Amino acid sequence: MSDSQKQFIYLSALCCFLQMSSFVSPALGQLEANEFERQIRPLLSEHCFACHADGSAEGNMSFDKLFEEDDSQQRHETWHRILKQLQAGLMPPEDEVQPNEEQILAVTNWIKYQEFGLNPDAPDPGRVTLRRLNQVEYRNTVRDLLGVDYDTSTNFPADDTGHGFDNIGAVLSMSPLLLEKYVNAAKDIVSSVVPVESAVMRHQSMPGDRFVAETDDDSTTQPTGGRRMGREDRRVLTLSYYSPMEAQAALDVEHPGDYVVRLNLAANESYVDNQFDDNSCEFAFSIDGREVLRETFVRQGGKDYAFDFERSFQPGTYKLTASIKPLSQSTQVRQLRLEIKSVDLIGPKDPSYFVKPDGYDQFFPRDVPSDDVERRAYARELLGQFASRAFRRPVEPDNLERLVDLAESVISHGDTFESSISKAMTAVLASPRFLFREEAWAPGSSDEYPLIDEYSLASRLSYFLWSSMPDAELIALAGEAQLRDNLDTQIDRMLHHEKASTFSENFVGQWLRARVVESIQINASTVLSREPTSIDPEADIRRQLFFSLFRKAKQRTPQEEVEYEREKERYLRSFGGGSRFELTDEVRTAMRRETEMLFEHIVTNDLSLLDLIDSDYTFLNDALSAHYQIEGLDPVEGSAMRLVQLPAASHRGGVLTQGTTLVVTSNPDRTSPVKRGLFILENLLGTPPAAPPPNIPALEDVKAEANKKLSLRETLAIHRQDALCSSCHNQMDPLGLAFENFNALGRYRTQELGQKIEAAGELNSGEHFATVDELKRILVENRRLEIYRCITEKMLTYSLGRAVEYTDAHTIDELVANLEANDGRAQALVRGIIRSSAFQRMRSPQAKNDKQLTNLIHSPSHR
Amino acid sequence: MTRSNSSRRAFLRGVGASIALPAMASLRTPGLLAAEAAASRLAVTASGAPLRTAFLFFPNGSIPKAWWPEQTGADYTLSETLKPLEAVREKFQVLKGLDNVAAEAGRDGGGDHARGNGTFLTSVRINKSSTDIRAGVSIDQVIANKIGHLTRFPSLELASDPRRQSTGCDSGYSCAYQYNISWKSETTPMATEHNPRQVFERIFGEGSPGKRIEHLKRRRDEQRSILDYVLEDARSMQRRIAMADQRKLDEYLTGVRALEEQIQRAESLGDPRDPGIETPLGVPQGHEDYVNVMFELMALAFQTDSTRVISLMLGHDGDNRSYDFLGISEGHHDLTHHQDDEDRIAKVQRIDQWYATQFGKLVKRLDEMEDTDGNSVLHNSMIVFGSGNADGNKHTHTDLPILMAGSAGASVQTGRCVDFKGVPLANLYVKMAQTLGIEDVRQFGDSTGGLDGI
Repeated sequence: MSDSQKQFIYLSALCCFLQMSSFVSPALGQLEANEFERQIRPLLSEHCFACHADGSAEGNMSFDKLFEEDDSQQRHETWHRILKQLQAGLMPPEDEVQPNEEQILAVTNWIKYQEFGLNPDAPDPGRVTLRRLNQVEYRNTVRDLLGVDYDTSTNFPADDTGHGFDNIGAVLSMSPLLLEKYVNAAKDIVSSVVPVESAVMRHQSMPGDRFVAETDDDSTTQPTGGRRMGREDRRVLTLSYYSPMEAQAALDVEHPGDYVVRLNLAANESYVDNQFDDNSCEFAFSIDGREVLRETFVRQGGKDYAFDFERSFQPGTYKLTASIKPLSQSTQVRQLRLEIKSVDLIGPKDPSYFVKPDGYDQFFPRDVPSDDVERRAYARELLGQFASRAFRRPVEPDNLERLVDLAESVISHGDTFESSISKAMTAVLASPRFLFREEAWAPGSSDEYPLIDEYSLASRLSYFLWSSMPDAELIALAGEAQLRDNLDTQIDRMLHHEKASTFSENFVGQWLRARVVESIQINASTVLSREPTSIDPEADIRRQLFFSLFRKAKQRTPQEEVEYEREKERYLRSFGGGSRFELTDEVRTAMRRETEMLFEHIVTNDLSLLDLIDSDYTFLNDALSAHYQIEGLDPVEGSAMRLVQLPAASHRGGVLTQGTTLVVTSNPDRTSPVKRGLFILENLLGTPPAAPPPNIPALEDVKAEANKKLSLRETLAIHRQDALCSSCHNQMDPLGLAFENFNALGRYRTQELGQKIEAAGELNSGEHFATVDELKRILVENRRLEIYRCITEKMLTYSLGRAVEYTDAHTIDELVANLEANDGRAQALVRGIIRSSAFQRMRSPQAKNDKQLTNLIHSPSHR
Repeated sequence: MTRSNSSRRAFLRGVGASIALPAMASLRTPGLLAAEAAASRLAVTASGAPLRTAFLFFPNGSIPKAWWPEQTGADYTLSETLKPLEAVREKFQVLKGLDNVAAEAGRDGGGDHARGNGTFLTSVRINKSSTDIRAGVSIDQVIANKIGHLTRFPSLELASDPRRQSTGCDSGYSCAYQYNISWKSETTPMATEHNPRQVFERIFGEGSPGKRIEHLKRRRDEQRSILDYVLEDARSMQRRIAMADQRKLDEYLTGVRALEEQIQRAESLGDPRDPGIETPLGVPQGHEDYVNVMFELMALAFQTDSTRVISLMLGHDGDNRSYDFLGISEGHHDLTHHQDDEDRIAKVQRIDQWYATQFGKLVKRLDEMEDTDGNSVLHNSMIVFGSGNADGNKHTHTDLPILMAGSAGASVQTGRCVDFKGVPLANLYVKMAQTLGIEDVRQFGDSTGGLDGI
């Protein structure tokens, strides 16, 4: 199907909707059948049946079977596949006679409005399974609710995923382990910020970097052995195990009395593969000239220490002295360090000097009433506010009373009022109302597809664009039933809010797999050893020798021992120079940000989504620009990522030639053109090939009989000769091979295994391209609508937390047509989704569809 | 990252030290076993010691010709891949001819890694869907449902496999199948703990040695104090929501009940003795360290009778990690599709052998650990070690590589290779359940009976 044909279909589809409703009415069975026989069957017969009916079932598709299918769900799913094939122009195949646009439109409309029975006036919003907060949403919600950053990725088991996203309600299950973790997390989060007393001992903390060394000339400078860490939030003083140093700080004491001085230290190391540092040092600490600590430290591996010293002070300033001295001079890798994190002054112990705990007023704005009735009212007020925020809708009165009862029961055990509130807040965070996003429909609605209420809408919006709870403004508008009336203003506000970056992190991070670049294994030296200009090809052999000797450990012969020492030294040295292009954490993060920022930039500035494929700008920092080494581009300075205009022949621009995509579609040791082709088909064109048949080995590894090392292109060409392989690989391979100029590290190259890389190719649909730049242009110009459709499906899936189904066919066509009419502008899609019935409405729990679905869920057919 | 490695060593050093103690006597609260043994024949050996099961899953199958010994019986010669197990040869048996046909393609087409993984302990066909996930209750959970009340934790689900992706899972299957072998119900996978620190703290408590039990108690008090409220909350919510959402709240309610029972059991059975070693920190950097720290945690959990059922995913099926520490820089999964290239076959075989070597370490460790009846913990266990694919190259699911260590308290023979010539793997599971005294498990998955002759 040509591009203009497709455009015609989408645009005419839009025009048709008004008329459509006239022939979609409940009792048209007969007319429907007539229309099918008169209009549709002849078309199918002419263009499809030769391969897919009358006994033929190519690609496992048979209309004979379809027409006999009684299970309407099965039938719909098959028609849905047909619809997608037609819309993507995949069927009929290019070399067959093509139906004209009106004919295709007739079939697709028949499928949508007759077979599926979709009503364009009241589109089925589909069914969203009750969604549990995933790790990211939980973390963000707790941050916005209480200002606590709780590390959910360490503390919770991983979330399960479906359709490429981790926010799919049906897949986010809750195992007993996770429930237990939620209960514990609730307690840990609340007790980390909510005070349980109204007055506590003063606790002042002095950051470690207040310590300074005194040098001979009496001016205070940075300690020679010490180093300040760059980041604001880690104000520590770092001491090396290997150089003596003395540093001092002044401790100011305001009130007389008994105190505890607490010294917080951490012993750290930089891990070097299988190398151990047995050096040691002695650390001493004095208060006002009196030594209170002298301790030997060896390799302690990331351990934290807190030393407490009891001490009486009069008001005044006291000198604290910390000193370190090496006890050994081993020449091994130097990797050990001691950090003074802080010195705390706790006291005086006399209660008359006690102060309100930190953050007390945030949770307890008034003094606790002594009267029981007033106290209960105060508890109700505090808990009502908190629970309503946490549940993202007003807490129900009986629920609130139970919370107040829970709090009162704590008081009756003799605990403080504050701890009673803290207990009830813990219960709120463990409640299913917090952990699940319960949705309700708008009051008074009796539709089959009622509008969701505005609190539900506020949550859908905020979890879609912010991956977090709605803020005060959204909730206030929902409370006044003004959110729908102010939707555009609110979407504007939300998209320009700093939290909008999470949209990009989580949506693009998963859709385009940008997240994966931070953890995927890639062996730089192996990758580079395939390229002639890279590092010494012997390095890998030596590295392997080192490891084999290392593994022998005590069984090494004396000669091997000598060899081992030599290789070890070499190996360790290689961490400095040879691995310049190793994917360091810094480079990986920059790659992820590059992709995220491109998407953010497009959405915030309402640019065309096609910039994701082909653009003349990108986002780089010093590390990433050094990694890419783009010809004609001046090195970018500084660690901050920034917008960079790309030179004409950069071959970069668009996600396909960004580090993220290039790396995550590679194997640990080399590129995988098949994975790259598959990535484009799945994630940009929305036409994934059928899964490989079972029991067929991965195709890219086919080796020719010849013993010579084949290029990947040659290898792939051999297996494409197999008819079984060719139907899918003819689609994937040319796409993937076009990117062979980029290695598994995302770097540009011109040769591999001594051969010049050939990127030119021809798409299955006949278009020729000489370079990757031409391929991008073909995608953007000729495959625009497929790309719009694919992004639409992905974003709709993400925004709703459910699979896209046949009932969404009309909604999606409408969104795609809208994108096309708006030159692909990103916000047209975001706003279109938010305005869609799927986002605004829900199936009434009483509706029959819901029952069908429930039955389906429990059907045993799969066994 | 840098911290974890050394901590792992500190942790293992600590464990080493604890071996010197008379193991069970020091670590387990005394006085319970006899009472249990009298009360029930479940999961108890004839000598009155706890009877345990564990299921270890390794990824991507193995090279069959290097895995299988040529002979059967007690006089068999260890195969190339299993050679590292020579030292513990008498402690395990090689089980040949066990099939899991539920993992085969059937009408579902591609997706042998999702199926190999998702059916390994369930032996039922899994529903091919990205969202509508349905497998079956796994055998470890069937066992835990019956014997879980005997220990503080009905079961533990562990993984030495932190990398997870939300996309790129196998051919139309939800990632849930590929990252979980243990299933609580058809629709609820048992999420795994992959962080050694979390595993340790859950069993023995947070904080430094000496303070942990107090921590466990405080945790329980805190948990208990809010459970009534959240239970009522869930029930009131349940009355309002749509049918299809009930399942989600059921999962929540099941979790609440499980936690209540766990609290009660901890109080009736008593807390474990603090092992007195340092808490492991986070996820170790090297894969070998990671696997071994998980083994230590298993050993400790068994030794303290904190649970009698453990599953451990050493890696998920389809795992494409590289084994640089073996000098293998290619991805494991990619290598398994070796196309008869000798070099690639050799590399895969070395990875298989590495996994077998690790298994041998666990066997040795448990064998050195004394149980309450004077035998070893291993003697009173059944430890299954296997994969969901047989030949990773061809994605076959018959003749799966399966080993079983331990004698189940002298109920099971070891030190031999047995060929069952094509019976369901599920038959082994039925037999294991019956050996544990769970008589009413007569059928599981596609089983055709209990496996005789183990």
